[in-house]
Amino acid sequence: MALDEAPASSSPRRAAPSAGLLLTNEFGLIVLILLFGAGFAALAGGFLSPFNLFTLGRTVAVSIVIGLSMMAVIATGGLNLAVGAIGVCAAMACGYAIEVLGMPWPLGVVAGLAVGAALGWVNGWMVVRTGLHSFIITLATMSIFFGAMIFLTRAESYRALPAAFTTIGRAKIGGVVSPLLLVTLVVMLALVYLYRFTALGREMLAAGARPEAAELSGIRVDRIFILCHVLSGFLAAVAAVMMVARNGAAIPSMAGQLGQDWLLPAFLGPVLGGTLLNGGKVSVLGTALGALLVALLTNGLLLLQLGEFWIQSFLGLLLLLAVLIDKSRRSFLARRNLA
Amino acid sequence: MRHFTRCLMGAALLVSVGSSAHAADDTRVGLVPGGPHPYFAAWDQAAKDAVRDFGLAGADYKVPQKWELTQQNQLLESMLSQGYNGFLIFPGDSVGTVSTVSEIVGNGAPVVTGAGCLKDPSEAAFCLGTDTGNSAYLGTKELLKVLGQGKRIAHFTGFLVDPNTQLRIDAVERAAKEGGATVVQVIADIDAPEPAEEKINAYLAAHAGEIDGIVTTAWVPAVVSANALRKIGDKRIKMVGIDHDEVVLKAIKDGFVSGTMLQNPYGQGYVGAFALDKLRKGCTVKADAPFKSNALTAKFIDSGTIFVGSDKVDTYVDAMRDETKKLLAGFDTTYLTCP
Repeated sequence: MALDEAPASSSPRRAAPSAGLLLTNEFGLIVLILLFGAGFAALAGGFLSPFNLFTLGRTVAVSIVIGLSMMAVIATGGLNLAVGAIGVCAAMACGYAIEVLGMPWPLGVVAGLAVGAALGWVNGWMVVRTGLHSFIITLATMSIFFGAMIFLTRAESYRALPAAFTTIGRAKIGGVVSPLLLVTLVVMLALVYLYRFTALGREMLAAGARPEAAELSGIRVDRIFILCHVLSGFLAAVAAVMMVARNGAAIPSMAGQLGQDWLLPAFLGPVLGGTLLNGGKVSVLGTALGALLVALLTNGLLLLQLGEFWIQSFLGLLLLLAVLIDKSRRSFLARRNLA
Repeated sequence: MRHFTRCLMGAALLVSVGSSAHAADDTRVGLVPGGPHPYFAAWDQAAKDAVRDFGLAGADYKVPQKWELTQQNQLLESMLSQGYNGFLIFPGDSVGTVSTVSEIVGNGAPVVTGAGCLKDPSEAAFCLGTDTGNSAYLGTKELLKVLGQGKRIAHFTGFLVDPNTQLRIDAVERAAKEGGATVVQVIADIDAPEPAEEKINAYLAAHAGEIDGIVTTAWVPAVVSANALRKIGDKRIKMVGIDHDEVVLKAIKDGFVSGTMLQNPYGQGYVGAFALDKLRKGCTVKADAPFKSNALTAKFIDSGTIFVGSDKVDTYVDAMRDETKKLLAGFDTTYLTCP
């Protein structure tokens, strides 16, 4: 079991360690990343150039956090279709706080993160209060949040942001590494700590795995579900603020119409990484590797000039394939009593 | 479209007469629209012709999979990694693309924006596009010539997030007021087949009797309106469209549409590639170049617009060729300082 892979409960039966390791999502993803990486390095001109590695890292940094944002809700067995809409609202709030209210940029960032967490709370509260599936609630709030943002901002961008903030998106550490990757690393470590070493994190997973059993154990499941949505909103805001730094502006179109452009990366990372769609198990490292694989494939296919229009279809197929492989893997483990 | 391309090739040959082919150099130009749209198809031929006529090492038309800023950014970054060193870009977002352009220019590749501009300040050398407000104004004037005084017109236009749309709405309103006409309906946000079909057909089904004329200032609404008027079969309603889609041109021939405001995407691609090559060879933009201004930038060059009625519909490519010739003649001496 990977260090960060956090199931709600561990099986009393001990798995054979070597077989267990080889059958993890993380191991499979690492193998695929190495294979594709080597292939692109050999075939795609410019793949190993410092600029390409820098932009790849920067793209991955944001994609990972978007994936983690969705993962936080998938842990409950739910979904957050409003990830992109919350992200854009947070970005615009950050831009508004800095440009219009004249806040120092760190405070503006905090304001954006607070808006993201607050909108996540709205989602969680409505899910718990109505008893409806989060799919329905977040489908509705996706339009509500985005529509309100367009109305309030009149679709105007905020670009008068301090250079100290925007250079974070363009700076290079050692000529290759984006500082945004460090932000992502901090977020990942915080989540690993949360799910692995805190009671709250374990309660989140337990509530997602078996809400009724968790309730009987004294866990306030409703409160935990709301917190998961707050965490998701907060992480969406982190991704959005990173994008503001990358774009040098807070723009309403940064995640597409209704924020839908974030949905595919939001699902691909966690699903490829082994997060269970019915809740109770997350993998922070797996989500990061899943996002890395997707970004790597997109980047490599673009460099190979295989036709830009195929990439989106290819990523959709990859998502479907990952789900099917995961199903086969779990069947295999169950048959051999390794799960 | 095939006929159009063939005509363009012929036109380009004529344009190239008198412009001596340069010795082969290392300029590789990327022509990148914001996403898939028929307007930009002419950039493809323009790229090929520019390679032949100006002796470029290469020029390729590359389309992002969809209208998404992140996708366009990734495509541009990958092209820079592949060795493209000059870019004609339709900005995915007039503010959000500024940072990407700055990064590209920082890597030694000049950028010209085509068909749409970046909001100043930006590091794009200049913007080469249609003076959209003027085109809409002239188109409405042409419609009023056919209609006469005191008539009622409907205006079908593009996406509200496109800054050109408001300019077009204002220009049509101004021309109508000057000509003693009334704009009774503006339908925007319909530069895509589905919303255009739905809204235009619904409007005409309910209100065709209440209007005397239609002016369209976006590609898809022009096509849909031309088809709708053909279906209605009543030539009482006069229309002036935009661009050179075969549907619109045929409707002009058959008398269902009075004319169309031709833009010059081919000229943007062709002259844009020429200018980028010059900039790479050490030319700089003149400080006192006679740029025009629009809502976004003070470094705007009008790529030309012309009204094509039934008398010119068979020779519209000649009109486009003339516009491109005009644009190219003395371009470098007018706008550039070369060593």
